[in-house]
Amino acid sequence: MDGHVIVVGLGFGDEGKGAVVDALCHHTPTTAVVRFNGGAQAAHNVVRGNRHHTFSQFGSGTLAGVPTHLSLHVLVEPIALAGESRDLTALGVTDPLRLLSIDADALLTTPFHIAANRAREDARGHARHGSCGKGIGETTWYSLLTGATPGDVVENHQVIGTPGPPPTVGDCAHPTVLRTKLDTLARFYEPLIGDGPPVDDLVSLYRDFADAVRITTGDEVGRLADRGRLVFEGAQGVLLDQWRGFHPHTTWSTVTPDNARTLLGHRHATVLGVTRTYQTRHGAGPLPTEDDHVLTRFPERHNGTGHYQGSWRAGHLDAVLLRYAVDACGGVDALAVTHLDARDLHVATAYDAPLPTSDLTTFLHHRTPTLTPMPDPVTWLADHLDVPVLVTGAGPDLADYTVRAPALR
Amino acid sequence: MGHGKWDDNAYAAAKTFRAAKGIDDFGYTATMRSRPAKEWKADPTLDPKNVDARECRDSPDHADSTPIAVLFDVTGSMGRVPQIMQRKLGKLHGLLQRKGYLTDPQLMFGGIGDADSDRVPLQIGQFESDNRMDEQLRTIFLEGNGGGQKSESYELAAYFVARHVTTDAWQKRGRKGYLFLIGDELNKPRLEARHIRRIIGDDIKEDIDPASVYRELSRKWHVYFVLPNQSSYYHDQDIADHWRDLLGQRFLKLDDPGAVCELIAATIGMEERVVDLDQAMVDLAEIGSIAESKAVGKALVHVGGHTVATTAAPPQLDGPDDVTLT
Repeated sequence: MDGHVIVVGLGFGDEGKGAVVDALCHHTPTTAVVRFNGGAQAAHNVVRGNRHHTFSQFGSGTLAGVPTHLSLHVLVEPIALAGESRDLTALGVTDPLRLLSIDADALLTTPFHIAANRAREDARGHARHGSCGKGIGETTWYSLLTGATPGDVVENHQVIGTPGPPPTVGDCAHPTVLRTKLDTLARFYEPLIGDGPPVDDLVSLYRDFADAVRITTGDEVGRLADRGRLVFEGAQGVLLDQWRGFHPHTTWSTVTPDNARTLLGHRHATVLGVTRTYQTRHGAGPLPTEDDHVLTRFPERHNGTGHYQGSWRAGHLDAVLLRYAVDACGGVDALAVTHLDARDLHVATAYDAPLPTSDLTTFLHHRTPTLTPMPDPVTWLADHLDVPVLVTGAGPDLADYTVRAPALR
Repeated sequence: MGHGKWDDNAYAAAKTFRAAKGIDDFGYTATMRSRPAKEWKADPTLDPKNVDARECRDSPDHADSTPIAVLFDVTGSMGRVPQIMQRKLGKLHGLLQRKGYLTDPQLMFGGIGDADSDRVPLQIGQFESDNRMDEQLRTIFLEGNGGGQKSESYELAAYFVARHVTTDAWQKRGRKGYLFLIGDELNKPRLEARHIRRIIGDDIKEDIDPASVYRELSRKWHVYFVLPNQSSYYHDQDIADHWRDLLGQRFLKLDDPGAVCELIAATIGMEERVVDLDQAMVDLAEIGSIAESKAVGKALVHVGGHTVATTAAPPQLDGPDDVTLT
């Protein structure tokens, strides 16, 4: 597949975006993988022979030697990034941080955000949202508080102190600015989490971070796009999108291809929607086709129960939600279908009632889907969604993936 | 990841980042460091040995060339400054040109070490006005080391610029160039003839007093010494006294080492009388260097916005108008 590609998950995450990105990078020379949403909570598995890595902040093209650009829409957590860099080094990647560039305007996820995220999720008890506990929502929330005063309610959370401007990756090279922002942040969260880490230590650490990676300003994606082909790697799935997902079980991020399209300007790109042959999700939230038999039939090597994220769930492929996800993307140009090694599948083609326009979450919690057998998922999906299937995956390894040239239409 | 203890994670992260710290932007350094120290040497394009002259010439595109030489102390902790510079090179060039501080700036970079103890005590590039200056900067060998003596061979670098650099700015227009020495220590007490012979190749028989080198140099160059807040020497009175004796107000202390590029730009803007200190601060803020502008303002406040350009060349100049090549 030539030209820029935007890879977007059409489920609740875990569709196989990582392996698809790796396959695309392996198939066609690629200038960079651009992350256009999410942050350190991404977990994209790539398997190449005896090498396996769960990509979080590095792009999934890293094992193919492709550099990663973290756009301004990515939330960057330097401490976890360093850990991932060490893991990649252990896998034989030479100096992984060298492969990384980051937009100066990307928000920083700090230990304060992470501690606050966990404190809130712990306080919810059994009513957890299914957060990963990595401070993503908290980072976004704090960034929305500029100008708010104590006692205000922003996005259903009470403002507990006096907020300041959010720290960004660009600030890391400017200790004075950074220190001021972190001091404010520490004071802001003190009622919720008590003393966080010493701000001086963080300033010093982030300074080292700024020296170790390339921080870019201006239209870096445009510059990269003019140099060659880009693969945009979406995190999570469209069904968790902050606007189109099912509240409150959403991620605070635009998962649809919108960010990627904006970053590309008017350049053309193929939007590649990724789906499994069955439906999965982590933690709480609606999953109308959930079926324990599916769960037990397809155990996951790389997905388990996360302390903050909750249990791993599975069900039949949900064509109603799939179509909903495609619509949320403004349509897709092609599909990548993964887990074709799963056999004897069924697909839900309809529910016992049509999709309403509001309160989808409650609606989805009480549905009985209509299941039909799906002998060949590739043919079925191409027909049902009327788009070509250009990438297929029948296992976790790169060798299990096939990238096809798009047929002339 | 992210679930461990703060201290452990932070320590490991800092270590990881420091290990990666931009050093690979300096690919030559990475290559050299992987070899035994006895094989360390300057890249041929930066080796001052037997160089007749580095030239800063006018061209049809650049009719009013002004030389800017930036020579870094590359020992110890000072090795970070070139890396900062490399990241901000575009900003410096942009500010000089777009704000009209200089029409045709040409930049040359070099590295300064210790002639008594370093393998590569002096590196001197060429004057460039395009991307090649970035390449040059990244080819500087950041030897590191340094230590103990509280002195580096700045005077050796000064000697090279005084004797082995020719510029159209001076020859055609009588305009001085800009030399920025960036370091945190003292000159050697004497510029030793044997070092000049070994490192530069000039047949010099007698040691030279560093003060006379700076006198000679300041005829054709505005010479600045920038002391970034990067080591314990920042507060050392000996170092301040030493450089003030040599350069007067052109000894600049800089709180934020990250602001070196901005300081150079603002200094030139003021010396050229294109801007005063206040306007320079505004210009810096405009290119996004808001935090840096504070450090720059502080560094330059003693220089004064309006008096800096009137500093006369020191008296008792000697030496020929042009570089004598022997």
